[in-house]
Amino acid sequence: MDSTPTRTQVIAEHKRSGGRIAAVFPVHYSRALFRAFNILPVEVWGGGRTGNAGDAHLQAYTCSVVRGVLSAHLTGMLRDAELYCVPHTCDSLQGLGSLFLDLVDPGRPVIPIYLPRDEGPAAVAFMASELRAIYDRLAELTGSRPSDADLQRAIDRECEADSVLAAMLELQGRLALPARAFYAAARSREYLPAEQFAAAGRRLLETTVRREEPAGVPILLSGIVPEPEEILDQLDAAGASIVADDMACCGRRNYAMSTNSDPFGRMAEQILGGPPDSTRGVAVERRLAHLLSLASARRVRAAVFYEVKFCEPEAFYLPQLRRGLEEAGIKTLALEVDISERPSHQIATRIEALLETLA
Amino acid sequence: MSLANQLRYHLNVSIVGNSVLRLQRWQGEWQMSRPGSWQNAHIAPPVAVAPRLKELISRHYLKGQYAHLGRKVAWVTSGAPVEFLVALGYFVLYPENHAAVCGIRRMSESLCTAAEDAGYSPDLCSYARTDIGSVLTGKTPVGKVPRPDVLVCCTNICQTVLFWYRVLAHHFNVPLIVIDTPFLYTEATERAVAYVKAQLEDAVIVAERVAGRSLGFDKLKQATRYSRQACELWMKIMECGQHRPAPITAFDEFFHMAPIVEMRGEAFTVDYYAALLAELEQRKANNIGAVTVESKRLLWDNLPVWHRVRWLSEMLAERQVALVASTYTNAWGELAHLVDPERPMESAATVYLHPILNRGTGHKLKTMRRMVDDYQADGVILHSDRSCKPYSIGQIGQRNRLADELGAPALLLEADHNDPRAFSNEQVATRLSAFLELLEK
Amino acid sequence: MSTVVAIGADAGSTTTKLVGISHDGVIVWETIEPTEPRMREQLERLLATIPGSGGSAGPTVPVVATGYGRNLVDTKHRRVTEITCHATGVYRSIRSSGTLIDIGGQDSKVIVIDAAGGVVNFAMNDKCAAGTGRFLEVVAARMRESVQDFAALALSSPEEVAISNTCTVFAESEMVSLLAQGHAIESISRGLHRALARRVASLARSAGAVAPLMMSGGGAHNVALRALLENELGAAIRLPAKPQLMGAYGAALLALRRAAA
Repeated sequence: MDSTPTRTQVIAEHKRSGGRIAAVFPVHYSRALFRAFNILPVEVWGGGRTGNAGDAHLQAYTCSVVRGVLSAHLTGMLRDAELYCVPHTCDSLQGLGSLFLDLVDPGRPVIPIYLPRDEGPAAVAFMASELRAIYDRLAELTGSRPSDADLQRAIDRECEADSVLAAMLELQGRLALPARAFYAAARSREYLPAEQFAAAGRRLLETTVRREEPAGVPILLSGIVPEPEEILDQLDAAGASIVADDMACCGRRNYAMSTNSDPFGRMAEQILGGPPDSTRGVAVERRLAHLLSLASARRVRAAVFYEVKFCEPEAFYLPQLRRGLEEAGIKTLALEVDISERPSHQIATRIEALLETLA
Repeated sequence: MSLANQLRYHLNVSIVGNSVLRLQRWQGEWQMSRPGSWQNAHIAPPVAVAPRLKELISRHYLKGQYAHLGRKVAWVTSGAPVEFLVALGYFVLYPENHAAVCGIRRMSESLCTAAEDAGYSPDLCSYARTDIGSVLTGKTPVGKVPRPDVLVCCTNICQTVLFWYRVLAHHFNVPLIVIDTPFLYTEATERAVAYVKAQLEDAVIVAERVAGRSLGFDKLKQATRYSRQACELWMKIMECGQHRPAPITAFDEFFHMAPIVEMRGEAFTVDYYAALLAELEQRKANNIGAVTVESKRLLWDNLPVWHRVRWLSEMLAERQVALVASTYTNAWGELAHLVDPERPMESAATVYLHPILNRGTGHKLKTMRRMVDDYQADGVILHSDRSCKPYSIGQIGQRNRLADELGAPALLLEADHNDPRAFSNEQVATRLSAFLELLEK
Repeated sequence: MSTVVAIGADAGSTTTKLVGISHDGVIVWETIEPTEPRMREQLERLLATIPGSGGSAGPTVPVVATGYGRNLVDTKHRRVTEITCHATGVYRSIRSSGTLIDIGGQDSKVIVIDAAGGVVNFAMNDKCAAGTGRFLEVVAARMRESVQDFAALALSSPEEVAISNTCTVFAESEMVSLLAQGHAIESISRGLHRALARRVASLARSAGAVAPLMMSGGGAHNVALRALLENELGAAIRLPAKPQLMGAYGAALLALRRAAA
């Protein structure tokens, strides 16, 4: 995806054409809702060189994603955003949203989105009502009121992009691409407009050499976000091929399709019908069944859990998921990372040792 | 319950158990009444009703031990609506409370280690690790913890409990009722109340199915009435701390709160708090302070440090400092006025959306400001609790604002509510001493 | 002396170890020195000293490098992690399946070995120094004792101070305060060794440790740690003849295996 524009270019281009930018924090929200207002959601996952300015407001036991996001805000890295959107992903992102509303000046409107921890009709109805309330906020901010038909069209575009992402994930291990390049392409969904992502993704699928079999030992990658990216290089170097993805930023947002004629109900059903995710508090059995089915479909030999330190949603599931996978003959490895730091030497050793045990 | 089991339950709990516990209580009361039985010069002797508290708690766990003879058992989170479970005859167990008991009895460290041995990260909430450790090893300081028939998890205190209860549900293979309470960044909306109410109605159906009986509306109203009465009395008990000298400290409340958390909705809880309140009123009238010489008054924010309650309370008392209130114990009283026994389901939906932990950092700051005023506190200790992110995030800003606005010292104290390994006596002692020196200026 | 036919080089964070073995897998040459800041040069120099194996041109026999600095050797040599190397070395020495505990300067590892000598599972300590040899180095230095003497003190004490905190920073301040309260250095030392042993035992249990227990690495020389680990895990620990060389020995065995293949 060499021709894929960068985040900065996309933001500049969107603003030039008269659109607005929203900085959106992890994990679940509806892109279509923002796009219907000509607002481009650009996601911020806290990685990269954000510094540690966030430490002025957050204790050291807050995860590096949340501290990185706040640091990015405090150091002016998010200055292009005219509004912030904070999904209610976990206690720490809840805290961040609340800090912005009460204690740390965000300098722009902040819209929290609540994520129901249930999937029944009451939860879908609440999620739909939550999205409708955000619609009203955005209408107030922009002065426009997109029709239901506008919303449905925006959702259709996102569905199209989602299906391209799904095709990429399906072929993940067989595309002759370094892991870092694959994730750069898949994660461009975090800032590219849906139609551009879909076009770029299709191009990638057409032009990349496909192998019959993965080049390395097939593994499944689970976690929140694959940062720092050096770990992807270390996996490649050790002879692993990531063939299945269960990352919150990628595979867990391979959303369900819905045909609901109410656009808000449709968006809600898509999010709540997505693959089992820790941050939605899905039952252990369902997460395990999902991982096992991915593993058997792609002949996975090991699962690598790429965990952000202090991430409670992830850490609670880990022992039972690992046990379930091990019982099915799949080796597991848990790596704990601070996404703002370079991975330690020990992480490379753990990865290499895992691959040695599979040799 | 079969007739034989019914008889065994009554024999063990109502006849033998009750008699033994009553006897122990009398012994306790008699020992307390002997001159010279209380040795601490800085802290007033415990209230005379204290042995009754011990009796209540012991009886609660005794009922748990024999619950297998016929009562259904629900494990619930501390902020969960419990009235419908009480009305359905469940024995209700609070893992968080049980974990705190483990912390007080110095068992939490080994239980946390057991959970870590099984792969649970040392960064997870220490309540959760303590209880998971207890579940995995069967070790507990309370005799025996009954296995759950149903789990009830309400997310109004944190999301942590949701993941924790998912682990329990997988382990025990029992139904889990989730009551998802949208976080109130500002105010509760009607749609949020409607969502919670819909979930409560679904919860009742599951709980009825597990219990094998249907919910009697009169019983629900009765339990809700007791709940409200107990919460009101609890609030009045805490408000006694506004008196100078304060007849009760937050350290005392940490122990006296057990019934309001785990025996809400029961008549005996109302009786106990009525007796405690009467005694505190008497102490107020006689100007008896919980700290013998009270020079300074402090507000506490966040959970107690269960494994160091006594150490901290003695340290402060020696310096003539009374911890007159806490946002934590306050949480079980401040919503009493929202409880409406005539509309139990509707009011529950509202009440259980509003705990301080389900509201924004600004609301907590406002609460602390008000409590500093109401209790005439000279300063605030904010326990920065490694194990409780929702309670702790925001404290840095809250501390700064309190200090700036009130000109009163506010200390951020790094600790962990149940894991002694994340606590350094030496560092805490130094920081606290420096803080108290500031206060004395 | 038999000819060196394969070499293992273990470039650890504290010491660098080289082992040469004969065709029947016996150690015929060994060297150990403190790791120098210029690890690459040190490795090249040491490799050139191996008797009868190429001199300054570097060894002509197969080499496997392991340890922290394994990637610094010439790319023509194979690199294998210390997990596989320690397991290989210890399995060859003790000839048993079981659980190998390796307490190094920066890392502690628990490696579960199967009946064929393969690694079934492994676990390593988390980022902080608690649970590694570094923890004891820091506190022993604070007490102005060598690690060995500090361990001997621990074993000489019938009493033990309870120390729950294994954070190196906290433990240091806690230790100072315990001394100020008049506790004997012996019982404090025992308490600290106990804290470390608990931490490592917990790591072992999380990896699904099975008997017998074995130890390698520098920590195996610490008598107090060994005794308390046996006590915590309720099983005896078996030691190979040269615990500290097991990484390098395993590497040499792997080099030999490759040469034979």
